[in-house]
Amino acid sequence: MERKVAVVGYTQTNYEKESPISRERIAFDLATAILQKLKISRDDVDTIVFSSNDFMDGRTISEVYLVQRVGAHMKDETKAEADGLNAVLYAWMRIMSGQYNTALVVSISMSGSQFRPLLVQNHTLDPAYERPRGLVNFISGAALQARAYMTKYHMSEENLAQYAVKSLENARKNPFTPKRDGVPTVKDVLNSKPLYDPLRELHTGPFVDGGCAVLLASEERAKELTDKPVWIKGFGHSLDTYYIGDRNIIRVNSLRDAAKRAYKMAGIKNPSRDISLAEIHTNFASEEPIFTEALGLFPDGSGVKTIKSGISRREGKLPVNPSGGPIGAQPMNATGLVRLVEAVSQLRGEAGPTQVKRARTAVVHAQEGVCAQHNVVGILGV
Amino acid sequence: MPENINVLVPITYVYKNRVGQFIEKFIKGLSQKKILGVKCPKCKKVYVPPRAVCGKCFSRLDKLVEVGQEGILENFTVGHVTIDNGELKDAPPYILGVIKLKKADSAITAIVKGVEPNEAKPGLAVRAVWKEPPEDNFSSLDYFEIIRPSAKKRRR
Repeated sequence: MERKVAVVGYTQTNYEKESPISRERIAFDLATAILQKLKISRDDVDTIVFSSNDFMDGRTISEVYLVQRVGAHMKDETKAEADGLNAVLYAWMRIMSGQYNTALVVSISMSGSQFRPLLVQNHTLDPAYERPRGLVNFISGAALQARAYMTKYHMSEENLAQYAVKSLENARKNPFTPKRDGVPTVKDVLNSKPLYDPLRELHTGPFVDGGCAVLLASEERAKELTDKPVWIKGFGHSLDTYYIGDRNIIRVNSLRDAAKRAYKMAGIKNPSRDISLAEIHTNFASEEPIFTEALGLFPDGSGVKTIKSGISRREGKLPVNPSGGPIGAQPMNATGLVRLVEAVSQLRGEAGPTQVKRARTAVVHAQEGVCAQHNVVGILGV
Repeated sequence: MPENINVLVPITYVYKNRVGQFIEKFIKGLSQKKILGVKCPKCKKVYVPPRAVCGKCFSRLDKLVEVGQEGILENFTVGHVTIDNGELKDAPPYILGVIKLKKADSAITAIVKGVEPNEAKPGLAVRAVWKEPPEDNFSSLDYFEIIRPSAKKRRR
């Protein structure tokens, strides 16, 4: 890599069904929290990258109302329409270009209260054929993916429920996620409302309002700004073809491809040995075995063994989503950036009740599209 | 905490999306009880529904081919809901199948009937069932029906 880039500051709001404050106020609070923590002013921020979705926000170029709120007045600013992790990818490249030394990344979601997130998702479908038919959507696609994996690798619905319970247990310890009454048991998951078999209501997390932000800096600036830099070691980004009938939905080749590039850049030869924790964008519990295997963290088809062994639990050898992941809360368009924020707090030893032991290298992930058509993978290290 | 001040912003919109010649021909084909795919001149794969470019080969596709009306149920889910204008609605259980048609290399998604949802399984043979009379849109292809009894039933 030409230039080393670090995450030097991070912050996030609580995630809740309906935020008591506006998205503009959230933007201001996030930006000022980061600047105050680092004892810098907006003059120290060279460029800003947002992530938001215009259709979700009901406005064209919807970040336009946010730029003043994060200190971007008369500065250089852009946005990623997909996830906040894509915005980190853009910000990282901007610093790598040599034009900028610092970049603020802000992702705010009002998916809990503002509009119908399922409608926004459905509008990613091809308008002439798949959308009007009403058969393929994010949930039915994930269900087909889950069913294919479970049939091929003999995973029971109890095993799948164990994945959901593991995430819900972790989410309960995470102070940022909405509170639930107790932790649902495997039986509760199996008795929850069926959506598309084998997926049920408790296999997925609630859409919420909230946001997060990070400040990236070049190596020389990072060393001035913090004594706890978290280095971006690698990134990979890959996009598969649109129709799920064209794709191998249980291999998720674009995730394998993105992971391969990120690991190569980071010099990671054996992810299951070299990665100490994973924060991944699972919209459904069934995606955890599929994605972690595509990421090379566990052998292909080992989902039953993995969940039974406890290796991916918070106290296990390779914790996956110790924050609870999106099964705890889904702030649409910020979900992937939350994964990075959580991983950074783990690597800095600041994750409090969800802290894992000996965290040195983390893999973070965001996805978009039916059956994760589009994947971004980042490697962070201290 | 002061109460939120919200404005309700109604947006009613109609987009005129150009569907392109292949989807247009696909829909027209369905109204004539034909299922059309497109063959890549380079990798020879037949894609359904047809599209203009093979992503893998980055080659322009122009050869429409008719694929079989029978195929294999590769995978399925039983739906208990539908998404109606962005809202989850309960629905009587139905089978959403992934079907590999004869002479096609990609699979399509469709409703499958003729078997109880709890008896569906991958590998069953299916056949297209058309609306009578067919309509001038994609819903002419009504659903797929199971054409062979399952192995378990045959043994009896």
